[in-house]
Amino acid sequence: MDQLPNLGRELEMLSEMGLKSMEELFEDIPEDVRRTDPLPLRGPQSEEGILADAHRLLGANIHLDSRPSFLSAGLARNFVPSMVPMLATRGEFLTSYTPYQPEVSQGMLQAMWEFQTMISELVALPVANVSMYDASTAAAEAITCAVRVRSKRAEQPNTVYVSEKVPPHRMSVIRNYTQGVGIKLVQIPHTSAGLLDLEAASKAKGSCAVYVEQPNAFGIIDEGLMRLRGIIGDSTSLIVGVDAVSLGVLEAPGNWGADIVVGEGQPFGIGPTGGGPIYGIFACTKDYLRLMPGRIVGQSKDSDGRIAYTLTLSTREQHIRRHRATSNICSNETLIALMGAMHMALLGPEGLEQLAMRAAAAAQQTMETVLGIDGVELLFPASPIFREFAIQLPISSEVALERMDRLGVTGGFDLSRWWGTTNNALLIGCDERTSMYDIRKLSESLEKAIEEGSH
Amino acid sequence: MSTLFDFNGAPSSGWSQPAPIREDPLSGIPSSTRRATLPRWPRASEPELVRHYTLLSQRNFGIDTGFYPLGSCTMKHNPRLNERIVQMPGIDRIHPLQPDHQVQGLLSIYYEMQEMLAICAGMDAVTLQPVAGAQGEFTAIRCIQEFHKSNDQANRNKVIVPDSAHGTNPASASMCGYDIIEIPSGQDGRIDLDALKSAVGDDTAAMMITNPSTLGVFEKDIAEAARIVHEAGGQMYYDGANFNAILGKTDPGRMGFDAVHYNLHKTFSQPHGGGGPGSGPIGVKSHLSEFLPSPLAARRERNENDPLGVDDGYWYFWEEPDSTIGKVQQWNGNAGAVVRAWAFYRRYGHELERMSEHAVLNANYLRHKITKHTENGNQAAAFTEGAPASVVKHEFTLNMTPLKEQSGVTAKDVAKRLLDYGYMAPTLYFPQIVPECLMFEPTETESKEVLDKFAIDFLEILSEDADTLKTAPHTTFVKRVDEVLAARQLILTYPFE
Repeated sequence: MDQLPNLGRELEMLSEMGLKSMEELFEDIPEDVRRTDPLPLRGPQSEEGILADAHRLLGANIHLDSRPSFLSAGLARNFVPSMVPMLATRGEFLTSYTPYQPEVSQGMLQAMWEFQTMISELVALPVANVSMYDASTAAAEAITCAVRVRSKRAEQPNTVYVSEKVPPHRMSVIRNYTQGVGIKLVQIPHTSAGLLDLEAASKAKGSCAVYVEQPNAFGIIDEGLMRLRGIIGDSTSLIVGVDAVSLGVLEAPGNWGADIVVGEGQPFGIGPTGGGPIYGIFACTKDYLRLMPGRIVGQSKDSDGRIAYTLTLSTREQHIRRHRATSNICSNETLIALMGAMHMALLGPEGLEQLAMRAAAAAQQTMETVLGIDGVELLFPASPIFREFAIQLPISSEVALERMDRLGVTGGFDLSRWWGTTNNALLIGCDERTSMYDIRKLSESLEKAIEEGSH
Repeated sequence: MSTLFDFNGAPSSGWSQPAPIREDPLSGIPSSTRRATLPRWPRASEPELVRHYTLLSQRNFGIDTGFYPLGSCTMKHNPRLNERIVQMPGIDRIHPLQPDHQVQGLLSIYYEMQEMLAICAGMDAVTLQPVAGAQGEFTAIRCIQEFHKSNDQANRNKVIVPDSAHGTNPASASMCGYDIIEIPSGQDGRIDLDALKSAVGDDTAAMMITNPSTLGVFEKDIAEAARIVHEAGGQMYYDGANFNAILGKTDPGRMGFDAVHYNLHKTFSQPHGGGGPGSGPIGVKSHLSEFLPSPLAARRERNENDPLGVDDGYWYFWEEPDSTIGKVQQWNGNAGAVVRAWAFYRRYGHELERMSEHAVLNANYLRHKITKHTENGNQAAAFTEGAPASVVKHEFTLNMTPLKEQSGVTAKDVAKRLLDYGYMAPTLYFPQIVPECLMFEPTETESKEVLDKFAIDFLEILSEDADTLKTAPHTTFVKRVDEVLAARQLILTYPFE
């Protein structure tokens, strides 16, 4: 209740308006819909009381940094430089709205223009927006965008081919975003090595788009994807979902034919935060510029001829185009993208490469170590990985994870939660902070879990 | 000022991080997949970047720097306690796929927020998954779509929206595949019941409407509108953008709505952050609850064998609704925004009603100060009210057409001049049904003194000479920005070459 500066001065203000009570301000609400009883909610609290409750409740959670953790599955445990939250929560950034008045919003506009540049450089495509909600909505809107651009001339109109190993939660978002506008999704199978079946992918030629991920859901670096452009031809959009950190060492999809690159920006800028707020990356070639979703900042000049920044190409957007807009997106994840920009700027090109090398080194080390345990095998032994890998256990992965948890280790992700066919498979995720100690603890606890047997 | 790309120090001279844990970090990665050239990111140290971003922040206007009467956006103060809480590892360092027993605290906050929001809106079930208002709209329309399908009424392919609706309404329904029928508002800005009657039919899937309307006026015929839509077999969707006006005074459930979205970044003070993040939970009546996105937070009484959890006698868990539409965001929504909104709610508790009272008090007070205190004829003749109403709710509109006819000064010119006085401009040219529209929403967190001063300054601006206004702003870091040039030259990234 300490948020109301005019508390206790109501009558003074009312009387200036010729009113006597607060009730008069609500007399326009018809009696039959008016609420007369108080809200059945708890009483107000002081800042101190709320903070104490926050400590009690959030303190009851077991957070990732409190123990060795190998749970990733597309959302990274990471290290965010101290500067990032401190600068991003400066009130001028934190409490601003979408920069509709560029004259007093140059700070955020320039920061977002710089963000667009860094994303464009990262994926090697000329255009980027200032963020989508997450990697999944970015993928879904990339698909609808590609259909808008390609469908009229496509031999397979309204048809998009999608890797069958896109994680189910992302597939679900894609289905929700595409079902209503009549887009047909066709799955491309994977080989027994976990790689995209390139022969099957050739059927996508003449469709509107292909969506694949690099690395894929099993952490595999699929070299064949770099030949997809030649296989699907020039009239089908190639959309690639990426692990943004991997691009410190892996070739940028823009350099192997991708038209649109999407992905999770979260490793740059913010912790996993229970799944949000995070932000989706969306970058594309100029062919998609006028039909793409999201806000875009452009450089311009002010009336004195000085360089200035402003939102541009707004005629694509819902507040102008209404039901003909390219997307309904309005609020996005700008502040998190700002945090991402700060993090990327601190890393610099060599820092990015080192970050990717740290994650890759941790994954190699972890993989080699757990493969020393009796009964543990790689799910896809011949395929290279970046920072995650899937192993096959002699016991159910669900049981193994429970036992490891009791030993104080969060051991990874049970892949049977995604695909029932992978019953004993465990997805182990590493990051720049995975230490030799973490790896030892993982290995010891996994070994013990397996020794306990299969019941 | 300089850009990030002017920083180009020596390689690796900047921020430091540990070395990889082995000598051959890339031994497992095929050379054919390796990146040939690194991105042209800046090479800068922390001291340089702290200054860069501090200077940028000083070129940005926020609620913290001044009055922000941006209509429909509810730019209220963002309590700093909330920022402190979301830095705690118990939320910042939480993965959405952690097992239930590791996240009892977060689950209990989700549960409390689902319950609280349901009570406030008169709904039966709430999901916190949608991450923005527009995504909430989309999610609710998807649920309504599945509801109709489950009743063999997939033929219902039209969604009705008033012409005063937020642009996201028709855009969201369109993304679900619906045809949009736009109905005109009456002269007072309110819903035209005759137009509605002739628009509904056996092809009506839903009507989307906000109340109070975007003119800040309460729709007195809302229950009748709901009856008309329901009689035709359609569902009523409440756009919660203007919820700040009515909390505790009425609710969408009483008005006859079946589904509603909330903007935690408006009503519950999640900071707008220059455009996001937001959070757009939806509430629904029981007949729609089985379609909600998955998962929802649920609870049961705690058993003896359960770990202690949050020690309130309950065990919390994620649960999938029976006929769920699946996911709209890949995890469980913007948990950080939910936690901030929880901290905000806890300040008020059952006194949330006071918040809405003060939002409405401030809007009416400012409207009174502007419209009734015009000292000379010029000021009074510069505008008319967007909608005639004895009281407004949380916002109000002015029609600046008279000013434009007198001197050629547009609503935009007035808005730009307000920037010189240290204010954010009100919302411009929306709703589109009011010509030369300025839309003001002061929110409950502005003092009487701020409102008094703003009214004086606003009226003074109307007395200034036309040239001063047409070339405004004059005192900002940059002068009026050429938006046409931006769209023509399309310099969307730093030109390295």
